[in-house]
Amino acid sequence: MTFRRLCALLAALVLVALAIPSLAQGELVRFTGQLLDVRSGYVYFTTGDAFKLASALRVNDYDTGKPTTTQPRAKLFARAILDPATKQVVELDITAKHLARDVAYDAVAQPLSATKPTTEKAPEIVGVHVTGKEVAVAFLVTVPPTTPLNSDVYISTDASGWNPQAIKLDRIDGQRYRAVRRFASGTKFAFRVTRGSWNSVELGDDGLQAAPHLYFTQEVDAQEARVTIFAWSDDRGNVPQAAQPGAVPTPFNPNPFPPGGIFPGPRVTPPGGFPTPRPPGFPNRPPGT
Amino acid sequence: MRLPVLIALASALFASASAAALALPPASLDVTANGVAFYFNRFIVTADGNVRVRLSDGTVISGQTFSMDLKLNRYLVAGDVHLDGPTIHQAGAAFAGYPDLDRSYFLPAGDTPSRETFFGVDWAHPTTTREQPGDAYYFPDLTGERAYIKAGGVRIVPKINAMFSNAQIYTAGVYLPVPRYVVTFAANSHFFENTFFGGNFDVGVPFNGSAHSLTALHLRNDPYNGTYLAFDQHFVWDQDYIAFGIDPLTQQERQYNLVAYKRWTPKLESRLFLQESAAQAGIINRPTNAAGFAELQVAGGFRGSNISYTQDNYYQYLLGIPKGLTDLNTPTASFDPRWKEHPVDGVLAFTGGPTPLVRGKTALYLRPRAGAGFAHDIYGEGGYSNEQPGPPDSFYHYLGGTLYTAPIRLTSTASLSATYDRQRTWFNLPHEVDLGDLLFTAADSLERLHLRYYVAYEVKTTDDYWGNQQLAAYPPYPNTVTTQFGTYGGQAAFRGLGTSRGYTTSLIYAPTSYFAFKTTLSRFYDTPAPVPGLYGQPPWQLTTDVRFRVSRQILVDVSRGYYFNFADERWTPVLGVQISP
Repeated sequence: MTFRRLCALLAALVLVALAIPSLAQGELVRFTGQLLDVRSGYVYFTTGDAFKLASALRVNDYDTGKPTTTQPRAKLFARAILDPATKQVVELDITAKHLARDVAYDAVAQPLSATKPTTEKAPEIVGVHVTGKEVAVAFLVTVPPTTPLNSDVYISTDASGWNPQAIKLDRIDGQRYRAVRRFASGTKFAFRVTRGSWNSVELGDDGLQAAPHLYFTQEVDAQEARVTIFAWSDDRGNVPQAAQPGAVPTPFNPNPFPPGGIFPGPRVTPPGGFPTPRPPGFPNRPPGT
Repeated sequence: MRLPVLIALASALFASASAAALALPPASLDVTANGVAFYFNRFIVTADGNVRVRLSDGTVISGQTFSMDLKLNRYLVAGDVHLDGPTIHQAGAAFAGYPDLDRSYFLPAGDTPSRETFFGVDWAHPTTTREQPGDAYYFPDLTGERAYIKAGGVRIVPKINAMFSNAQIYTAGVYLPVPRYVVTFAANSHFFENTFFGGNFDVGVPFNGSAHSLTALHLRNDPYNGTYLAFDQHFVWDQDYIAFGIDPLTQQERQYNLVAYKRWTPKLESRLFLQESAAQAGIINRPTNAAGFAELQVAGGFRGSNISYTQDNYYQYLLGIPKGLTDLNTPTASFDPRWKEHPVDGVLAFTGGPTPLVRGKTALYLRPRAGAGFAHDIYGEGGYSNEQPGPPDSFYHYLGGTLYTAPIRLTSTASLSATYDRQRTWFNLPHEVDLGDLLFTAADSLERLHLRYYVAYEVKTTDDYWGNQQLAAYPPYPNTVTTQFGTYGGQAAFRGLGTSRGYTTSLIYAPTSYFAFKTTLSRFYDTPAPVPGLYGQPPWQLTTDVRFRVSRQILVDVSRGYYFNFADERWTPVLGVQISP
C-alpha cells in the first residue's frame, strides 16, 4: 500500500516536472547589463560578452513588459532572458534607466557567452581594486625653516587646473602646515606646493625646479601625504628673487608711461628712494642689497 | 651633387620619422559627432550620433557613441563601429583605445564573436586569445552630471588638452558660445604659469592649443588699469617652457613679458626674463616711451645644495634720450639724468643643504650660504644724490646660515622648534649689513576638541654698520614726524639699526573636513617705531579665516584682517573668498 502511494507520488512529481519547461530544459537565465550593440545576430554587452539572439527574439520595454519599438542600441540598459539549453537570448527588456549589473553575472551568464574565450595573459594589464569610497587625506607639508611665519602655503593640483591656491594649508607649528581633504579612493593627481603663486613654488633638494609629486588615494579609511620642501623659488638663501612680471623692475625711467604711471608709486619714498628693483625694508640700504 | 644628397637625406629622415610615428600611440584624436560634451567634474568627453574619430595615424573609427576619460587616458567607440585604416576595414560592436598600454581592443562582428587586441597601430596583426581589461568597454556613469562644454567637435591630445570647436561654455546658468575653447588637463604646470601680475579677477579664454602650446585671451581687472584684455602664449616641453604675455593688451600702458626656462641637464637650469614697459597707443603703433629689463639666472644643483648666478640688466631709455633734450643733467618729467646709462648687477650665490650638527631627539641642522656680487651704475650715473652717495660700482660678499631644530617633542602632542638665521654682507664702500632672525615656536593640539594652536616669538634685526661714518650715513632725523594720520615721535634715535620683536599666536578649530576656523593674532614691538603712512608694520594684527564646504566640489574660504586702527585701518577692505576643491 505504502509502496503504491510512493510510486503515485513519484509519478505525479515527474509529471509536474515535465509540465514546467524551465525544469525540463534547465532554468532560464536572467541578467542585466548595458548594451554595446546588437548586430549580426548577437547582442553585445559592456562586459565584452556577446550572446546569440534567438530567431524569435522578443524586445520589450523594461518597465511595462510590453513590446517596444525602441531599437536596442549602445548605452541602453537591458535585462536579457537566456535559454541555457540553446545559449540564445529569447527576450531583451530594454530601458534608458540605469540598471545595476547582476552580481552573479560572472558565474551564471558569462559561461553562456558566445565570445571566444581568451587564454593568453596580458601582463600589461595591472590594476588596484578600489571602490571609490571617501577617504580623509591629511596633507602634511614641512617647509624650509626660513619660511616667514605669516606665509600662506597651498597645494596646487592638476585636477584643479594648476590653480596655485587650490588647497590652503594651515600652519600647525614652527615648520609644518596641514590640511585635510576627502577624496574618493582611486583618486590620482599630481601636485606641487606653492606660497600662493607660481613665483613662489617649491624647489627640489638641489635648489632646482622640482617635478610634481604624484598622489594616489588608496583603499583605506584615512591617509597621510607628507612632503618636505627644501626651498622656495623666491627664497633660496641670498639668491636674488627671480624678477617677476608684476615687479616692474624698470622703475628708473621716471616716466615710462604717461602721467600717473602704470602703478601707483610707493606710499612714501624713504630717504635714498628705492634704489633696487626689490624695495628694501629699511631706509638707506646700500647698493646691491 | 649636393641637391641629390640633400634629397636623399631628407627622404631618409622623412621615412624614419614615419616609421617612428607608426610605432607610437596616437598623438591626437579628432572627434566629430552630432553632439560633443565635456564633463569638467569628471574630465570625461562624450560624443553621440554619427561619431567619427580620426586618429593621428589616419585610422578612422566611426560609431554611434564615443566616450573618453581624459585622466585615465582611455576611450571607447561603440555601436555599429567601423574601423578603417591603412591595413584594416572591419565592422564591430565596440572599439576601446588604451594609449598608455599601447593597446587597442575590438569586438568584431562575425559568425564567431571574439576579442581582438591590437598592438600599437599595427592593425594587420590582431590577436584574439589575449585577455583584455575587464572594464574596457564600460561607459562612464554620468548620472547627475551637467555638461560644462557642449561642442560640435573636439581635438584631443592625450594627457595634454582638448580643443573644442563651436563650443558653448556653461557659465552662470547659461551656455555661452565661443568659437573654440581649450581645456588643458596636463600634469605639467608650465601650461598655467603665465606672465601676468595680480588682479581683481582674471577670466581666461584659451582658444588654441597643441601638444606643446597654448594660446589664450584673458579678460582682467585691476585697480590701476581697470578692465582690459591681455594675451598669453605658452610653449611647453617636458621641463622647459616659454611663457609670453602682453598685459594689458588694450590699454596704452603696456608690458611685454617673456619667461624662458631651460633644463640643460638634470643638474643645470637657466631662466631668462625679459620685460618691456611701453607707453603705446593702439596695438601696433610705435611706443612713445619704453624701458626694458633683462634677467638671466643660471643654477647648478648638487645633492642638498645649489650654486647660481643671477644678472640683471636695465635699459631705461629704449627709444633713446627724449627728443629735443639738450640738458642731460637736469631732471624733467620724461628724463632722469641718473638713468641714461644701463645699470647692471649680478650675484654668485651658494646655498647649502641641511647639514645635521646634532642627531637624535633634539636634532640640530645648519644650512650655510655665501656669495659675492657687484652692482654697476645701479644707482645711476654719478651716484645717488642723498645722504649716502654711491660710486658707479659696488662690490660685496656675504656669509650666512640658518641654524634650526626639527620640532622637538615635549609631550605626545606638544612640540618646540627654534630657528636662527644670520647673514653679514661686506661692501666695498665700506660698510657692513647684518641681518638676524630668531624664532621660537611652541605648538600643541587637543585632538578631542579638534584644536591646534601655536605660540611664536620672533626677533628680527637689520643693522647697517658704517664705523666712524655711521652718523654721516644716518644723520639724525627730526624727532617728530607728522603724517595724515597724526604726529609721531622718536625718529631722531635711528642710527641705521632696526629691531622688530613679535609675538604671534594662532588657533585652528577643524571639527570636520567640511569646516575649519583659524585665527591668528600678532603683536610687534619695532624700533624705530612704525609711523602710519610712512613705514613700519601695524603693531597689532588679527586675521581670521573660515572655510566651509558647500558642495562636493566647492569649498568657500572667507578671510579678513583687522589692524586696530593703524593708519586708520580696521578690517581689511577686501573680504577674501576662495573657492577650491
